[in-house]
Amino acid sequence: MTVWAPAVAAVGVGAALVTGTWAVATLDTAVAGVVAGRGLHLRRAALAPLRRAALLAGRHPVTTERPDAPAWVVAGPLLLALAGAALSALPLAEGLAVADVPDGLVLYGAAMALVMVAVFLHGWAPNSVFPLIGAYRFVAQALSYQIALFLVLLGAALPAGSLGLGAIVEAQSELWNVIRQPLGLPLFLVAGTALSFWGPLALPDGEDLAGGTAAESSGRELLVWRTARAAVLVATAAVAAACFLGGWLGPVLPGPVWMVAKTLALLVILVVPAHVVPRVRIERFVSFGWTILLPLSLVDVFAAGVVALRTST
Amino acid sequence: MITDVLSWGLAALSLWSAWRVFRTDSMMRAAYLLLASFAAVGALLVLLSAEFLGLVLVLMMAGEMTIMVVFMVMFMMNPAGLNPMTMVHQHRAAVAAGIVSFAGLALVGVAGDFPDRPAADEVTTTSALGFELLGDSMLIFQSAGVTLLATMIGAVALTSRGGRFGDAHAGSDAPALAPEATASPAPATDAVEEGAHAAHEHDRHGAEGEAG
Amino acid sequence: MNLEALLVTAAGLFGIGVYGALSQQSFVMIMMGVELMINAAILAGVALWAESAAGAPEGQMLVIVAMTVMAVEMAVGFALVVAVFRVRKADITEKLRRLRG
Repeated sequence: MTVWAPAVAAVGVGAALVTGTWAVATLDTAVAGVVAGRGLHLRRAALAPLRRAALLAGRHPVTTERPDAPAWVVAGPLLLALAGAALSALPLAEGLAVADVPDGLVLYGAAMALVMVAVFLHGWAPNSVFPLIGAYRFVAQALSYQIALFLVLLGAALPAGSLGLGAIVEAQSELWNVIRQPLGLPLFLVAGTALSFWGPLALPDGEDLAGGTAAESSGRELLVWRTARAAVLVATAAVAAACFLGGWLGPVLPGPVWMVAKTLALLVILVVPAHVVPRVRIERFVSFGWTILLPLSLVDVFAAGVVALRTST
Repeated sequence: MITDVLSWGLAALSLWSAWRVFRTDSMMRAAYLLLASFAAVGALLVLLSAEFLGLVLVLMMAGEMTIMVVFMVMFMMNPAGLNPMTMVHQHRAAVAAGIVSFAGLALVGVAGDFPDRPAADEVTTTSALGFELLGDSMLIFQSAGVTLLATMIGAVALTSRGGRFGDAHAGSDAPALAPEATASPAPATDAVEEGAHAAHEHDRHGAEGEAG
Repeated sequence: MNLEALLVTAAGLFGIGVYGALSQQSFVMIMMGVELMINAAILAGVALWAESAAGAPEGQMLVIVAMTVMAVEMAVGFALVVAVFRVRKADITEKLRRLRG
């Protein structure tokens, strides 16, 4: 089993990306229907994304004048690859990870820092105004949440004494981090929403910019971009489930089932605000990120450090 | 065997993209080619079993190169390279200096007598680094922290709008009324660029004033 | 890769960085040359750490100092670029002519 573990885990990551992005699209459609008063039709909501994907894949792509073609081609697949890289450090069950490196958190951090590069490439490439504004907005947004995101994850790593995601999950076998560090999960969800620019923080792709970085995208390229965005959301939810909700730990069911269940629960929590909370203005989010999110994450890391020191010595 | 091929490929990629940084017309691509060079070096570091350093290098450089792109679009005439132009000075001297420095360092690298003490494969670098940072090298670590704080304060002080003796623009040169005969391209576009730069500056100040 | 190949690669990156820092007119491109030089130093440092220093953690400390230097240089460099542009309206080195001999 241990020899085949990375290959099985790689298949698992691929399956997670495919089904996870489909689940995000289903939840999005379903919640939109509920909020609009049309009731919860899960079967209809599950088939609608497939229909939309087929339509987008068949559409003729439209291009702009003198775009930066290599950047445009690279941006979507790069974002998808980064979500896959973030998931590859994550153990789906005990010992079942593509590469459970001892620096799993730093790998996740590096992948999420490169998300900024991918979104900027996507906004710069079409040589058009609104995508460029969307790209700049994401740079401002990304710089504001990045430090808070990494500090909160460090707080979750302190009880484990290791930066590896497998070790972090195993350190939660008595008590989940969401109870030990009450500030951790809410802060991570806010920073994670900003990272995957979803919902109230969908600033680079917002409707006020006529679609933002995706304003000039069409056809297959738009399908890949939207899938990649959903994949980053899935990676965020999966890492939050591992670092704060105990990953594969759970009483009766096998490990991967718990992992999937916790990720789905977090995905619901991440997708619902998109239809309930209005989009935040970029200036307000930047001030919020630096003046509230960052100090709170410092408090979280200090508290986690004090608790780790007292319980270890 | 695979890691050997991979490391040769990464070294070649980092050298090629570093060379392309100064050869490409598009400034945005120059910044991201530099990021590619850094990412290749970071991957090389991971292969050399310094994973923490390699991943931290990639993490830092992703943010830094994006900031560099923002500055390029702010300050350069031709950020997308749509009008190809070459702006170099003392080109032959620079090439000579580059070749001389490469030759000197490569000579030291090849002919130097370095001890052969390879790192053990199972060395747990991150925890050893952590103990080193907060143990023997605590002074260096804290000095680096204070240096970064001083850098932050210095950067804010250098670029603040209200200077020590009044407005930051007091005492600055007004643009010349007649175009200067400089080495840069056509004076007409130069004056237009200065006007555009000044307009961008005021726009940025306006946005900052509104938000801040 | 053995130590000599890594050091030659680092020397190549340093040479390209020197060429860039000396030949470019724009401030931002000069800074990219300096970044390449520090990149070369980091690669050489880790190569020597992995092959000649038996993985001693002081080597990694040196590389972390080099990364800090990179961050500091970029921050102060860009602040100076902005300040020089505001005062002298110069975005390339050719426009700074007051101290020219």
